[in-house]
Amino acid sequence: MRAKDYINGVKSGKISAIKTVKSILDEIKKINKDYNYFNNITDELALELAEKIEKNPKGRLAGLPVSIKDDICVKGVETTCSSNILRGYKPIFNATVVKKLVDEGAVIIGKTNQDAFGFGSFNINTDYKVPRNPLGKTRVTGGSSGGAAGFTALTEFPHVAIGESTGGSIAAPCSFCGVQGLTPTYGAVSRYGLIDYANSLDKIGAIGKCLDDVELVFDVIRGHDNKDSTSLNEELSNNNEVKTIGLIKETLDIDPKIKDLILKKLNELGIEYEKVSLPLTSKYSLASYYIIAMAEASTNLSKYCGMRYGQEEKLDLPYNEYFSDVRTKYFNKEAKRRIILGTFTRMAGYRDAFYLKAMKVRTLIINEYKKAFRRYDLLVSPSMPIIAPKFSEVDKLTPAENYMMDIMTVGPNLAGLPHLSLNAGVYNKMPVGIMFTGDHLNEKKLFSVGKKYGV
Amino acid sequence: MVKIGIECHLQLNTRSKIFCGCSTKQVDDPNSNVCEVCCGFPGSKPVLNKEAFEKALKIATALNCKINKKTFFSRKSYFYPDLPKNFQITQYDFPIGINGSFSGVKIKRIHLEEDPGALIHKTSYCLVDYNRSGIPLVEIVTEPDFKDPKEVREFLKKLITDLSYLDVYDKKSEFALKADLNVSTTGAKVEIKNVTGLKDIEDALSYEIERQQKDAPKSNETRGWNSDKGITFLQRVKESEDDYGYITETDLPVIEISDNLVNKIKKDVPELSEEKTSRFTLQYQLRESDAKVLSSNKKLAHLFEEVAKKVDPDIAAKWIIRDLSNQLNYHKKTLDEANVKPGDMIDLLKLFEDKKITDNTAKEVMIKIITEKNFSPLKYIETNNLIMKSDTSQIEEWCKKAIEESSDAVESYKNGNEKSLNFLVGKIMELSNKTANPDVARKILVKFIKK
Ligand SMILES: [Zn+2]
Repeated sequence: MRAKDYINGVKSGKISAIKTVKSILDEIKKINKDYNYFNNITDELALELAEKIEKNPKGRLAGLPVSIKDDICVKGVETTCSSNILRGYKPIFNATVVKKLVDEGAVIIGKTNQDAFGFGSFNINTDYKVPRNPLGKTRVTGGSSGGAAGFTALTEFPHVAIGESTGGSIAAPCSFCGVQGLTPTYGAVSRYGLIDYANSLDKIGAIGKCLDDVELVFDVIRGHDNKDSTSLNEELSNNNEVKTIGLIKETLDIDPKIKDLILKKLNELGIEYEKVSLPLTSKYSLASYYIIAMAEASTNLSKYCGMRYGQEEKLDLPYNEYFSDVRTKYFNKEAKRRIILGTFTRMAGYRDAFYLKAMKVRTLIINEYKKAFRRYDLLVSPSMPIIAPKFSEVDKLTPAENYMMDIMTVGPNLAGLPHLSLNAGVYNKMPVGIMFTGDHLNEKKLFSVGKKYGV
Repeated sequence: MVKIGIECHLQLNTRSKIFCGCSTKQVDDPNSNVCEVCCGFPGSKPVLNKEAFEKALKIATALNCKINKKTFFSRKSYFYPDLPKNFQITQYDFPIGINGSFSGVKIKRIHLEEDPGALIHKTSYCLVDYNRSGIPLVEIVTEPDFKDPKEVREFLKKLITDLSYLDVYDKKSEFALKADLNVSTTGAKVEIKNVTGLKDIEDALSYEIERQQKDAPKSNETRGWNSDKGITFLQRVKESEDDYGYITETDLPVIEISDNLVNKIKKDVPELSEEKTSRFTLQYQLRESDAKVLSSNKKLAHLFEEVAKKVDPDIAAKWIIRDLSNQLNYHKKTLDEANVKPGDMIDLLKLFEDKKITDNTAKEVMIKIITEKNFSPLKYIETNNLIMKSDTSQIEEWCKKAIEESSDAVESYKNGNEKSLNFLVGKIMELSNKTANPDVARKILVKFIKK
């Protein structure tokens, strides 16, 4: 059922929010045994919110079950970013998105699994049990918002997932699980209460079974927030007319079957498109992205040291050894890899060659996109270069090959551009995603093109 | 050759912290002025306090710095228990101001940053109080232009005075002034970290220079200062420059500083101590030393100018510098605490100027102005009948009595000891409740004794 119909049902008294919430909580528990989508199921909070709505069915999201990625703070609810180091941490405040959702009547049902701190494209780097693809348990969900996309695909109940993308963490799992996901313009949704991976790249977005659901929730969570200085004080562009689309040439050098599917889907639209080359983005976005993301991440992860919150050890060492002890024990391998690489790129002697150069390249990439948007309303590419791989295939990949998976998604993420991943069809029984990218604050164009598919 | 450069950290007197709404007020209860932002809790984000930024900009302007058109914050990474995020939000690449000069010393840079918390060392453990975490600091870095510790002290004294004129700094804050001192004499460079207060800064420098001259350091080192023992001590030898892995703090947007804002702030910069001193010597014909004393304290200077509107500036200066300041010191009060109103001072000094009260009465009333609440000088003088008495017949009575009661002093005066006359005048003041006109009394005394 579409969220809108459900909400109308709740408001008119035809549907019981409590009953629906109880059923979805039961379903989560059942599904979770096999699929591991949730780190934490918030029964108590969910029922409390549902009861409130049943008494007073108000708000744009009245009674709608919403799951929250585990890197977003919910007051009093364990929030871990799927990392052991934050086990037991219960934030003392709500993220702005959570507050907005609850204010509009949403029911928070739990915290979804992810790669720890968002470090990964397959959701295998979680310190919880690894989530499995809803269309084939031997395959990954994609990451890092794997729990969010996986559950969205599997549940039949009305539900929208709040995800987060730094370099492709919404588009990737949406593509692999066959659901729709919007990564908004950087700053369109407040990051207050989002636990940082890379501050200049992190964006909270929405994942839904249908595009309508995504739009509905995005409309609630977006908007300026005084608590986030990077939150934009500008309205979305009202122009939703899409006349020309640029197909990014360099993203088509993939499995021809996936490419054909994308082209077929594009032709369905009946909108003029032509190939466009983004040479800088194709060549340098991945390197630039990983340098900036890791440099920022390595400072963001400094605060986890066994003091103040999260996991701790017995304090019988000098502070620096104690910190090392805790961090060694509770960070996983990928977190350690990113801390070491990120720290390296910002040290004296390397800072100029890596971090500062990456920042300059980022500006050039933004300019390349801006130039393309003078000509095209939207750009299009596959969301991912492959379909969801099997765990056995992923195991064989080197870290560098892992990072290559983000080749399609890092560009718009680096440039802070809104992008929408839609299900384009199935290949080998697995979903394939098509990704539209718009200029800053041009989300309405993305929705208008998506609606032509009726997803 | 001695070369000294300093990096001083001063607390800005803002109402709230630099990146959150917590109060900057000093409180006794540890970890009570804190929130998720200044404790660096995951998910919290900093929001720059506009007041802190504008105050830092004001300082940069007053210290004649070049203002960077674009400025932003950076993360300085190091691990320490008092640092909630294990990085400090500070400025690195483009600080607010660069290349300034103040009091003949070149200023390298001025930037804005957050203070960490405070460690409280107990015998076998250590506690952390984050009340200070997020207090706004400005760091002012000079070129190594100083040649001796006295110059540093003079510079800092003047800096502090002027910062209080700018209304950006509160001398009374617990933190006062902290500095890192770079000293080189004949050998390698030595940095003395974290010295608090003017006196300790001067002492640490003097000690260190002497030490280096006896034993030139061979490698660059960081030293600490033991205030109790009055010595510096080795903390570590520096093989290379510290590496803090600076990156941009992207939670805070780049700030564009418009010419408009700079001009507006420039207009807000008031007359500073140096200008004030020279104006006082010209406008009020004060001695330079007096003008300096008055200018060195914003509130004292203000009081003087108010009083000098109605009273002879010479008298105003003398009474404010000598008597008022002395009595404040004696009673351990500041001008604010004593709540000295210009009106009361005018009432008092006007009477003195017009020779309506004696010097002694004026002094007595001055003490009451400082120590008593809701005190009115005029009322007090009237009620206690303290107006100076110059009536000859009345004074003659007191003279006679004084001579009668002090035959020794009279004898001594007759033998040529002029000072004995002062004693007799004092006696008359006692008898007259300080109201006898001392000049008239003196004349009558001389006349009587010569008889
Ligand atoms: Zn605070």
